[in-house]
This record gives sequence, C-alpha cells and structure tokens, in this order.
Amino acid sequence: MEDQYGRPLEGPKVGWDIPKATVRAWALLRRAAFFTNYVVAFLLILTLNFVLPRLMPGDPFQAIYGQEALLAMTPQLKAQLIERLSLDQSMGQQFVAYILALVQGDLGYSYYYNQQVLTVILDFLPWTLLLMGTALVLSTLAGLVLGIESGYRRGRSLDKALLASLMFLNGFPDFFMGIVLLLFFGVVFGVVPLSGALTPYSGLEGLALVRDILHHLLAPLAALVLVRVTSPYLLTRNTMITTLRENFVMTARSKGCTEGQIKYRHAGRNSLLPVVTSTGLMVPQMITGALFVEIVFTYPGVGWLLYNSLLTRDYPLIQGILLMVTLAVLLANLLVDLLYLKIDPRVSDAR
Amino acid sequence: MHVDVWHEVGERNVGRAGLLLIGLIVLLAIFAPVLTPYSPRENTSTQAFSRPSTDHWLGTNDARQDIWTQLLYGARTSLSVGFGVALLSGFISVLVGGTAAIFGGLYDRFWMRIVDATIAIPDVVVIILVAAYLRPNVLLMILLLSALSWPGGARVIRAQTLTLKERMHVSAARTFGAGWSHLLFRHIVPDLAPVLVAIMIQDARRAVFMEAGLSFLGISDPSVMSWGKMMQYARVFTYLEVWKWWLLPTGLALSSTLIGLSFTGYALESALDPRLRDRDDHAEGGV
Repeated sequence: MEDQYGRPLEGPKVGWDIPKATVRAWALLRRAAFFTNYVVAFLLILTLNFVLPRLMPGDPFQAIYGQEALLAMTPQLKAQLIERLSLDQSMGQQFVAYILALVQGDLGYSYYYNQQVLTVILDFLPWTLLLMGTALVLSTLAGLVLGIESGYRRGRSLDKALLASLMFLNGFPDFFMGIVLLLFFGVVFGVVPLSGALTPYSGLEGLALVRDILHHLLAPLAALVLVRVTSPYLLTRNTMITTLRENFVMTARSKGCTEGQIKYRHAGRNSLLPVVTSTGLMVPQMITGALFVEIVFTYPGVGWLLYNSLLTRDYPLIQGILLMVTLAVLLANLLVDLLYLKIDPRVSDAR
Repeated sequence: MHVDVWHEVGERNVGRAGLLLIGLIVLLAIFAPVLTPYSPRENTSTQAFSRPSTDHWLGTNDARQDIWTQLLYGARTSLSVGFGVALLSGFISVLVGGTAAIFGGLYDRFWMRIVDATIAIPDVVVIILVAAYLRPNVLLMILLLSALSWPGGARVIRAQTLTLKERMHVSAARTFGAGWSHLLFRHIVPDLAPVLVAIMIQDARRAVFMEAGLSFLGISDPSVMSWGKMMQYARVFTYLEVWKWWLLPTGLALSSTLIGLSFTGYALESALDPRLRDRDDHAEGGV
C-alpha cells in the first residue's frame, strides 16, 4: 500500500485495505485506552475516600460516619455500623465491603440529615445543575461572540478594551465577585434577593414561579459568567487571529463574502472546536466557582450543602459529594471527547 | 529567530501592569512591620467598628483589631503559599515531565497516564475533603496544592523537552556520557526557563486563589492571618457599613494579586507564542 508519492503507508490509518476485524479491534483498543484515564481517576478518588478516614487518629466512627453518628451512638447502632463496612475485618475486606456498598448505590448515611447520602445530594443537585448549566452555556456563547469580534478587530480599540476588561474581571475570585454583586445589587440597590433559590412559602405557580426562580438566579449567574467568560473568550480570540491568516479566508474575501459571513461562517466556525473542548475542561472550574457562589448567595445547591456538611463534620456527606462531583466531571469530559469525535471531520476520518 | 522573551514582557503594557502590581504587593508584605505600629491580633484601645482614621487607615473590626495591619499580614500568607506552590509544583513538573521525555517508553507512558487521570480530578473538592480531616497549616497547604497542580505543568514540560532533547548541544552532552539529571538541569531547563516561569506563575495564581477560597470556607491555619479568613469574618457584618473598609479592600487586595499574576502570565505566554506575537503579519509568511 503506497500513497500518491510512492511512500509506503503504514498501520491502520487507511481503512479500505485492512480487514474489517482488525480495524474494529484497533478502534476498540483505542477506545479502551481512552477510557483508562477516567477509570484511573475514579479509582484514585475511591482510594482517597477509603484511606483518609481510616488513617485518621482518634475515633474511627467519627471519621467514617461523622459527628452526628457519635451523638446517636448506642451499642446496637455500633454493632450495626461495624457490620455495615466490616470494620472488624482486615483492610482488604473493608475495601471490598466499601466497593460493594457503592456498587449498590449506597453512598453512606448522613446522620445529620437522617437520610441516605444519595437522597440528600439528589435533593440539592437540581439547583446546582441549573446554575452551572446556564453559566456554562452563557459564558461559552458570550466568549465565542466576543472572541470572534475581538479577534477580527485585533489591535483596534474595541479589541484592546475587551481584552483588558475581561482579563481584569477574570482576576476576581468568584466568591468576591459574588460578594460585590450581592452588596451592590442586593444590599445597596435592593434589586435582587439576598439569598435562596426561590421565595419560601410564596405558593407561586406557573409563570410567576419561573420568574421568581430566574430572579433569584440572576445575581449568582452573573457572578459566575463575569468571571468565567474570559477563558473561552481568550481561546476564541487566539484561534480567530491564527485562522484569519489562512488562505481560505482570502478566498472568501476575494469572492466577495460579506464581513459577517467571513467572521462567523468562515473564520469563526474554526474556533468552535477548541472552545467545545475547553467547555469540557471548564467544568471542574465551574464547579469550584458554583461552590463558592452558592455559599455567598446561600443558594441551596450542592456547593452550599458541602459547606454545611463541612461545618457539621458530616463526613459521609462530604465523601459522597466528592464522589458525585468527580463522576460528573469525568462524565462531562467523556461527553466532550465523544462530541469532539463527531464534530471534527479530521478525527472521525482517521478512524 | 531569537526572541528576548523577558525583555518583551517588560515592554508590553499588560506585562508592565502585572509586574507593577506584584511588586507593590510584595513590598507591602515584606515591609509590613514598618508600615503599621500594630500586630494583626492586637486588640487596640479604639472601639470596635470604628471608621477609617489617621490611627487606623481602614478602621477596626469587631474585635478592635486594626484592619490595615491584618491586610498587610494577609499578603504574607497569600504570597508565601503562592511562592511555595510555584516552586514545589514547578520542580515536580520538571522532574516528571523532563524525565518522562528523556527516558520515554513504559516510564513515560506510566507518568502520562497518571497526569491524564489527575487532570480530570476536580481539585477543590479533593482538597476540601483532605483538609476537612487534616486541618492544614501553611506548609501542609503548600504540599496539598502542589500535589494537585503539578500534572498540568508536567505535560507542557514533557512536550517541550521532547523537541529540546533533539538539539545539538543535548546530543553532544549525551555522547559525552552525561546522566539524565545533568542533561535535564544543565541543558534542558535553561532553555525551558520562560515556559517554566509561565507555568509557575499559573501555579502561583491558582494557589493564591485556592488558599483564599479555602480559608473563606474556614479551612485554614487558625494561627495565621489570611485574606480569605478576613472576608469570611467580614461577610457576617454586611448589614453594617463596615464592609466598605473591611470587606471591599480585602477582596480588592486579593483580586489585585490575582490580576497581577495573570497579566504577567498572559504577557509571558503571548511573547512565547509565535502566532500571537505582535509582529508584522506579512513577515511571518502568512497572508
């Protein structure tokens, strides 16, 4: 098998001459390697979750089951707790018991909320998803548009002003941005609510409820987007600057495309790929941001829950949240990887 | 084409502004005892929540402590955590990334797997979990933050070393029988310096942010003053007017440190990236 210049082509890069089974095996192998990262990352977290409380000096019950459990301790409960995670067995058997419990969806029991950890987390999760999801979408879209406009006008006043102000905003830690917004718009002007995700006991329904939720979402969302818009913006701007030098842009220009077409259909489209990738990489940062912003605005999401469980030393809950967050981040990255295969013709052709 | 990266950072407005901000805060931190007659935990004779005055530039807090003094000493904590993490994490990045590129093979694959896996882990939550158990002091905080921030740098260093190790002077040293540590620290690191500094600035920025964020959550060394902790205390009193000279200046000090670091880092990175350099586009053989 040779290419058009007579150089030998090697390996399964060309699909047609190689038996289908080999191609499939190769793809499977690559897919497996691709999953390994996620599996290793998850195992690292599991190990950390297992080892940390067991290495702690002092009462292992407090370290594993949290402070509240200690207060409710009776001999029966104690026996039950020992049996539950095989605490009287060797470390190896304890690890097996731990993994088995996880596989069955048992993340542990929060003695503070008197509920299964999973149930507690699922109660708080929707608000975080709402806040993070909208923030992720809005900051990516805004970053794309601003980056395209800015990169197209590189070196001119709009570009300079945008670059400087967005870099400046990015310097604010999320929680300080949240505090500033809360102080000015909440305390001084009184246009946004100071805390919560909806007005309690208001009995609102339908459209009024939606409006109430959006009203409460506004300030935390603004804090997150203002700080986080910079990374997609910078990425788009950089890609835009390099793309505008390509020959096809000149072709587009010479065949008489309008500025808008060149900006968005020709050059801007090329920025889409790196930005999609970076959206996935932004998920962990967004989680960090949402965590702090939720605490500032007492927004009842997982971040606020984590803060609260930190104050009450509810260790099973902290561990459960860590596990869920890791899982969410890994899933987001996996999704982006898969999406990337779909939208980049170069990658999908290579298979 | 040879580019004097360091010179260029000082030439750019962004770089200059960043260096100026960092320099200012470093000076404030170093000369803290000269700039204030109080100590950060001293309960002064002035009444609590007093307004800014000539005695107390930023007033006093609920425990009659001088806020300006606390701000100065908080800078020390932030900067030492940032600096410590930059050094330690930068060193690990070079060690792992550099040796992985030099040795290659299974060793390289092993480390890159670890790097890929750790990059996917949300570090804040991990630190919160560990810190919830261990109650970290400043040193432990530096170790923890470094343990989570080296993989990103290691990947960049590895990629750079892979091209650098083909250079003439490296092969020459190799034929003379130089060991890996000699190759890495004498021949490769000097060429890597600008990239390494860019990585270290990023690490420092993240570390300062995380330290402040964690102490804002109440995860901090109780004996050390820090900006995050000040903001955590100040946040309770937002219904009073004190936030104007307690909460805002603290947040602004933290933000200026972060902005200083990211401006310097950005100037350095764009000086390093040939595609973004502010040169005549036509000279580069582009359009």
